[in-house]
Amino acid sequence: MHFVTGGAFNGKRAWVLKTLITERSNLSWISAYDGLTLPNDLTHIQEGTIVLEGIEMWIKELTTNYPIQQCRNLWNDRLIKWSQWEHSHGNRNVILIGTDTSKGIVPLEKEDRTWRDVTGWCYQDLASKSDQIDVIWYGIKQKIK
Amino acid sequence: MEETPSLIFITGGVRSGKSSFAEKTAIQLAKKSGAHLHYIATGVPSDREMRKRIQNHQQQRQESIIQWQTWEEPREISKYSQHFSEKSIILLDCLTTLLNNHLFSTESESIPDTVEKAIINEIDSLKDICQTLVIVSNEVLNESVQDNALVYTYKKLLGKLHQQLVQQTDQAYLVESGIPILMKGAKE
Repeated sequence: MHFVTGGAFNGKRAWVLKTLITERSNLSWISAYDGLTLPNDLTHIQEGTIVLEGIEMWIKELTTNYPIQQCRNLWNDRLIKWSQWEHSHGNRNVILIGTDTSKGIVPLEKEDRTWRDVTGWCYQDLASKSDQIDVIWYGIKQKIK
Repeated sequence: MEETPSLIFITGGVRSGKSSFAEKTAIQLAKKSGAHLHYIATGVPSDREMRKRIQNHQQQRQESIIQWQTWEEPREISKYSQHFSEKSIILLDCLTTLLNNHLFSTESESIPDTVEKAIINEIDSLKDICQTLVIVSNEVLNESVQDNALVYTYKKLLGKLHQQLVQQTDQAYLVESGIPILMKGAKE
């Protein structure tokens, strides 16, 4: 799995499209910003590159429906499934794009604080399971793993 | 011979030392080439705190041995272009305030696309006139994007401006606790 992160409006999507996607990628682009739900099972997709964009929005959805620890468990279940999907065939890639929301002042609303906390933990879990991580800073990548 | 950079982009968090680093960078360039230093201040003294901040910056520049010529202009940054030449080094501090003045002013056009084009055009024209243009901005995009439409527009616009500037620039720095990290380009 490849985790791409960085601040909002920093050009993450453009960088992924330019750098990681080719005509032969056989691309499935699933974006939370389009209102799509977080995919659980990917087995219906045979091969190619799956991009999951806006993961912070899916994490927000988890936090509105489940207690904190369960959010993290559900998230990790998915990470394991996606990783298995990727590794069970040669021509499969999973790219996850998540906005860094960790450096502002403490949000006023409790729900927003929870969302921010859980996002941070979920990103840590994702980072430890990822093979590569790039931080995008206004279009410039910094490979941190 | 080394190329003199025509654009340097510097950003960082609040109180990261980005302005000091920008001033130092501009002074070094001026010493090397014998160019004149110009400072475009976009801050409007709207309240007491802002007045104090502006005073601090003014004092710092007065105390430096090198002479800065200051131009105060909240929006139209290329207004004083006739005073600049290829022997000028211009420091613009800062882009976030400039964007504020554009978006939150009743006197100006505040359609996002128009504002974006206007700012980029003015930066382009300044850059073309002078030897080096140094632009300072802020890191404000690493927090959850609020639902407030105005804040959303502001952040999106700032991100787009930063991306374009980083793409155009010869050198880009991210300043962390006073330490400049070179993100793009090479030091002279």
